[in-house]
Amino acid sequence: MSENAYHQSLLRGNLYVVWNELVKNIKSLLAYPTIIVFWAIFPVFWFIPFILQGEAFVGGLESANFAQITGTGEYIPFIIIGAVLNSYVNTLLYGIGENIRKEAYQGTLDYVLVAPCNQVYVLIGKALGESLSSTIFAVSQLTLSALLFGMNITLGVMLPVFFTIILLILGLYGMALILTAFSLMYKQSYDLSETIGYIFYIFAPVRYPIESLPNWAQILGKLIPLTYALIIVRSLMLLGSDLSTIYSDVILFLVIDVILLVMGFYLFNWMEKKTRKSGTISHY
Amino acid sequence: MRQVNCPTGFNWSNLKAELKAVWESNVKDWKIEFAYPVSFIRQLISPIVFLLPFLIYGLVLVGGEYSENLALLVGTGDVVAFIFTGYMLMGFIGTAVWAMGFSIRRERWFGTLEAIYVTPTSRLGQVLGMALHSTIHQIFATIIQLIVIYVTFGLALKIQGILPALGIFALMMLALYGFGIVISALGLILKEGWVVSDSLYSIMMILSPVAYPLIVLPTVAQQASALFPTAPALIGMRSFLIEGYRAEAFGNVFVHLLVLGAAWILFGIIVFRITDGYVRKRGMLTKF
Repeated sequence: MSENAYHQSLLRGNLYVVWNELVKNIKSLLAYPTIIVFWAIFPVFWFIPFILQGEAFVGGLESANFAQITGTGEYIPFIIIGAVLNSYVNTLLYGIGENIRKEAYQGTLDYVLVAPCNQVYVLIGKALGESLSSTIFAVSQLTLSALLFGMNITLGVMLPVFFTIILLILGLYGMALILTAFSLMYKQSYDLSETIGYIFYIFAPVRYPIESLPNWAQILGKLIPLTYALIIVRSLMLLGSDLSTIYSDVILFLVIDVILLVMGFYLFNWMEKKTRKSGTISHY
Repeated sequence: MRQVNCPTGFNWSNLKAELKAVWESNVKDWKIEFAYPVSFIRQLISPIVFLLPFLIYGLVLVGGEYSENLALLVGTGDVVAFIFTGYMLMGFIGTAVWAMGFSIRRERWFGTLEAIYVTPTSRLGQVLGMALHSTIHQIFATIIQLIVIYVTFGLALKIQGILPALGIFALMMLALYGFGIVISALGLILKEGWVVSDSLYSIMMILSPVAYPLIVLPTVAQQASALFPTAPALIGMRSFLIEGYRAEAFGNVFVHLLVLGAAWILFGIIVFRITDGYVRKRGMLTKF
């Protein structure tokens, strides 16, 4: 076989692995329709208390103090965008981080890892599967929110928002690889996923503008990919900005994504080799 | 062979034996929890993590610690005291929904459900033991919340209101335990019990005036909230703890909570017995 044909065959094989891993994840999700309904609808219930709190404290649909800090007094769309993106991050991060652990519970991890393919493509397939399901849930939540709370969503806004979501996914893939690496070795990735979720919840501007935090907390917040996603999406959807006016946030976002991806791939490869050598891959 | 007399029937010996089983179930859960120290610490600080966004968001909305509109609605504009007293109780809803609701499901995962079921004690005792563990856990978490919020934001609560507030809290817990028994019964039948627990928690979160007065809810939601103990408990506790607070509804909170407690406990026991019998008859006990 010529070298060219060999590389083409290898690429086809790897893409086949990605595709089948994606299909397997989706089939696994479809086996539990209640979970699909739950994630498509119930995250909306989690931010309704914040909307009611706003109405009680402010006595209307706009807050003057909010407008001073964020440029818009409309706290309801501010909360909705934060909640939908945060829910997206949680389902994606948790899903990818726990995916490898699920293989261990089911007793299939050994077989997955000794399969004659590059394990990175297995992870890419899993990540794509989780991304697809998380995206479907987020679209459902956003649609429901737009219908219930009258949010204005246009196609012109959604295209740059879609680009921002892709940047967010890249950063989250990096974080998920780091979590998966820890999951291989320490077996208890759930607590780590939850702790990262807590850090995002407090230091990223999910429920309030990042400017309302003390300086040290703002610095920490600006290391989180979700922060940039929220700032960019809110600027696009609430302030009518376009990407050229917020290019500095986009560039910083890209830099953080690259750092997380490189760290994630390196850690995963290192941890996988370490656990193979120690024979603890399928340990519980 | 040594003869062992097991107490039977409704008498003091049997009750003592059941209380000992409840206590040991509680001790078992603590031992499991301490085996995972990272998880234990995380769960102790999680109430703070979920309270802070409500507080910071509230402060940003009004630009300070006083809300004029809140004062108009309930007689007090103290944002920090209002939200803290509300959120303090949310963790105890988690006791009913998660700790009790998930207790049976957890034993299934561990593979110990059958062993627990053949133990010569009441099955409800097992659930109550887990509830006791979760309640104690939540009390520690609430104390940590109180310290952190007091140091960070300052907190103005009436000291003389603490005892009656604790009385209201005890009555609320009685009703919540009954509610938790219902959810643990659902866990016997449903494979994805966590979906039910999370859904019910989300609904109770909205119906309980945690971060807003009850009056902000639509009328039908206000009426529905009277069926659950958290709304009357929150309103009652706030009226004792917060200066100037004007109770929005429910009249005599103590009587309301007593009635709710009796109703939920009775309903919980009936549902649990029916479900338990159904599951054992069909051999579904260990089905995953």
